[in-house]
Amino acid sequence: MSAIVRIEDLHKSFGGIVVADDVNLSFEAGEIVGLIGPNGAGKTSLFNLISGVIPPDAGSITLEGHRVDQLPMHHRARIGLARTWQNTRMFHSMSVIDNLLIATRRYPGESLARILFRRRSVDAFRQQATEKAMVLLERVGLADKMHEMAIELSYGQQKRIGLARALMSDAACLLLDEPMAGVEGQAYETIIRVIREEAQAGRAVCVVEHNISFIRDISDRTVFMFNGCVLASGSVDELTRDSQLTDLYFGGEHP
Amino acid sequence: MEYILTVMVLIGINVILATSFNLILGYGGLMSVAHPIFYAIGAYCSGLLAIHLQIPVPLSILMGAGIAMVLSFGVSLPSLRVSGDYLVIASIGFQLGILHVINNLEFTGAAGGLTNIPVLNEGPSRSLVFVLLIAVVAACAVMLVGWIVEGDYGRAITAMRNDEEAFSALGRNAMNIKIVLFAIGSGMAGLAGALYAHYFAYVTPEQFGIFTSAALLTMVVVGGAATTWGPLVGAVLLTTLPQAITFLGLPVSIMAPLQGVIYTTLVIFFLFARPQGLTGGTRGGGGLEAWSASAAFRARRDAE
Ligand SMILES: Nc1ncnc2c1ncn2[C@@H]1O[C@H](COP(=O)(O)OP(=O)(O)OP(=O)(O)O)[C@@H](O)[C@H]1O
Ligand SMILES: [Mg+2]
Repeated sequence: MSAIVRIEDLHKSFGGIVVADDVNLSFEAGEIVGLIGPNGAGKTSLFNLISGVIPPDAGSITLEGHRVDQLPMHHRARIGLARTWQNTRMFHSMSVIDNLLIATRRYPGESLARILFRRRSVDAFRQQATEKAMVLLERVGLADKMHEMAIELSYGQQKRIGLARALMSDAACLLLDEPMAGVEGQAYETIIRVIREEAQAGRAVCVVEHNISFIRDISDRTVFMFNGCVLASGSVDELTRDSQLTDLYFGGEHP
Repeated sequence: MEYILTVMVLIGINVILATSFNLILGYGGLMSVAHPIFYAIGAYCSGLLAIHLQIPVPLSILMGAGIAMVLSFGVSLPSLRVSGDYLVIASIGFQLGILHVINNLEFTGAAGGLTNIPVLNEGPSRSLVFVLLIAVVAACAVMLVGWIVEGDYGRAITAMRNDEEAFSALGRNAMNIKIVLFAIGSGMAGLAGALYAHYFAYVTPEQFGIFTSAALLTMVVVGGAATTWGPLVGAVLLTTLPQAITFLGLPVSIMAPLQGVIYTTLVIFFLFARPQGLTGGTRGGGGLEAWSASAAFRARRDAE
């Protein structure tokens, strides 16, 4: 099988709080995995571990066969990890289009020497990146906002910009942290379509959401987390039929 | 006349210092206050090279700037591990440590300072020529920083300052940018120091202490952090202001504390009331916004 991301025996705790307790998971190419669980289950922490925001205590993470768990964040991003953030994390003094341009795979402004001595190729990269950003903004339905300051858009719009920004690098693995929070109306369908298209393009997608009907709509497989443990995996309907899990989700007792 | 020219030399030096400090602190958001130590390194290295190795002054000036550039690793490397308030503390440690060394070495002249530094140029209109030279260098400094912070590289600097984690998660290397900003900014400070040394022929360690950090910080904040012209405006204002106070004829025991009070008041006033400084637009404050009124905005965002 072609696992894009493989997580093995991953462990992480902050003092007494265990956010990853022997997690074993893999995300396949073309697959959309839903990740659900109550507040504080460790979903965002798992994304932080995979993308390199926090180092694991033990275990391994591989991306297309390469060990990445000791690599710095930007290095992992370059070899194929893209993520969005639960609280959008826009570059707040920059326009929407500039927010996207930063995420270009071959960023034109990577080094001053290149800007100085290879002006032509830098211009060409910028041109390409701008076109790509325009296409992505079109896809998330925000092309008309390209010159506005990202921070001045609504929360749901910022979520969509965050998604578009994560798509700029054509990463093999997409980690989406609550992409639907604040997204309403027509935009809901738009996001579903975009995520499906990205999976069809062969990327492995993992989506964290509290909106269970959205997870049911979009995911091929759903994973339930609680207290840092992966408790179950299956379809949303299988998981919701399990009364123990629903109790946990809605604030029940420890199993 | 000579007095006015000397003040103009000081203005030029301070424009270079404030502009380069703004690159690091305002644009880069890198909270290092150790900028004066690179000013010192440029001054002392260039002076010592010219005195002891008889290196021609123009060359020693460039070498002084180069050494400051290399030694900027002393703060850029810690900045890869710590940021914000911790970097302030680490940088103060670096600054005080090197000052302590300078203060106690015999060949740097210790606390008495380095004297008899050969001057860059002589002759009847030496000051005028030097003013012209420093004006050209200062203009180049402003233009260089302006060039660095515009366009693609500038966009990356801004994004790194806004949110380093989000920036890194997009595959961008924040480490490279920090090293480059510190190297260029510190090199410029070293150049300013070397020019100072070969004009006044005399430097003392106390010129490069925390008080100078405060003065430079005031120039950047008052003029407008992360703006092109702000540091220039701030440097002109805050170099001439103390000179103007001198005419009041107050005793030194009052003068020195008075300056400190003025600087502190200005910084606090601007951080709270006008974080964008005199020249900034509606938004701004650059790297200082975390310490300013707009910190409330960030707190709101992070709380989500
Ligand atoms: N850097 C950190 N230091 C200390 N504790 C942390 C850190 N990051 C997360 N935690 C704690 O780990 C637990 C799991 O947090 P996490 O954000 O992963 O949960 P989550 O499943 O994403 O929840 P939510 O659905 O509310 O977003 C929480 O109790 C949180 O307070
Ligand atoms: Mg979360």
